[in-house]
Amino acid sequence: MKYTPHALIAEVTHRCPLRCVYCSNPLEMRSRSVELGAAEWQRVFGEAAELGVLQLHLTGGEPLARPDTEQLVKAGRAAGLYVNLITSGIGLAEARLEALVSAGLDHIQLSFQDSEQSHADEIAGTRAHAAKLELAGRIRKHRVAFTMNIVVHRRNLAHLPEMIALAEELGVGRLEIANVQYYGWAFPNRSRLLPTREQVRQTIAIVDAARERLKGRMRIDCVLPDYYARYPKACMGGWGQGLILIDPAGVALPCHAARVIPGLQFDSVQSKPLRWIWEESVAFQRFRGDEWMQEPCRSCERKTRDFGGCRCQAFLYTGDAEATDPVCSLSPKRGLIDAVIADAPATDGDDQPAHWVYRINPTNAPAPTP
Amino acid sequence: MLLLPESILRLTGPGPRILELCDGSRTIEDVITALQAEFSTADPEMIRREVRTFLVSLMERRALDFE
Repeated sequence: MKYTPHALIAEVTHRCPLRCVYCSNPLEMRSRSVELGAAEWQRVFGEAAELGVLQLHLTGGEPLARPDTEQLVKAGRAAGLYVNLITSGIGLAEARLEALVSAGLDHIQLSFQDSEQSHADEIAGTRAHAAKLELAGRIRKHRVAFTMNIVVHRRNLAHLPEMIALAEELGVGRLEIANVQYYGWAFPNRSRLLPTREQVRQTIAIVDAARERLKGRMRIDCVLPDYYARYPKACMGGWGQGLILIDPAGVALPCHAARVIPGLQFDSVQSKPLRWIWEESVAFQRFRGDEWMQEPCRSCERKTRDFGGCRCQAFLYTGDAEATDPVCSLSPKRGLIDAVIADAPATDGDDQPAHWVYRINPTNAPAPTP
Repeated sequence: MLLLPESILRLTGPGPRILELCDGSRTIEDVITALQAEFSTADPEMIRREVRTFLVSLMERRALDFE
């Protein structure tokens, strides 16, 4: 079976002015000193395009924390890729926005934490909300596709109608309502972030009604928490099947969280061609196909649809990255997820003080040992 | 192939040709007229219906805007 990657997620830095409690970056972050330079990224974008990649997602950390983001956009376009910038927007002055659009940027995804400033700033661990609102008004004036992204969880789902109204007011073409995924910094915060079952039910109703009302004006994509699902998600569309993530230091991974799985050697684009990493490396082949699967996955008719779910989640809960994703109702370990749901407070938790684990900014952190 | 922020649409049949004609200056009516001339053996009403359905479905995905 031959696999072709369609998207490259380039985590061009782990530095970020925000400290969001659900950041998808790994707990052990890359410092500035090990970040790939623009010339290296340019070479990698070319190699990715040759492999079949069509879309480039520039993300972080905050990709604008680098001084050369415009150059990265240009390099992506020169390689023939559709270039998407995933940003918090902090500090994005008009001149730089103009430079990014002139460099050929196709799409901007701007993240919001809430519709209410105090709540948003609590989650981001810094004052950011007002600046985002101001920026959104400016982005609209440019010829660039615009998505507003809101990460939702127990503490802000009560404001979902207001958040949708905010997206309407800002005139975005697409709204992404993404429930927190419990990896990275969200994992230690999961009991405070996990919505109640009732909140999930209401989310579905609110989103369905908004989709109908806004048809043709705004597209709404919604990601529900897999902890409440009957079957696992097809994580990343299957391990090593369509996506490549490259971290700030150039290490290629099949997903954001893959480094939590022990015993896997992930290769760097600094020492190996991307094609070799995709086609030959042990790490990318490790969970392709179904040879590695255990029961109940191996004989399950859903295995070609969800690929046994998420390998990182399987490892985080069972200690075995080959196990069935524990969110699956067929998993013998489903009880571990039910226990997390049972332990989470029954209310939305707005009245209780939350003790968050905030993401750290690696600017001055020492380089981690590879 | 049409690239969207988080997805890829594989266009088949007359789709790519219809999009080629959507160059920012033609109106929907211009696009329909051009295709009716190009495919003169096909039922012109059917071409009108198909073009409209196709463009509306792209608009609903926010892949296309009318100015």
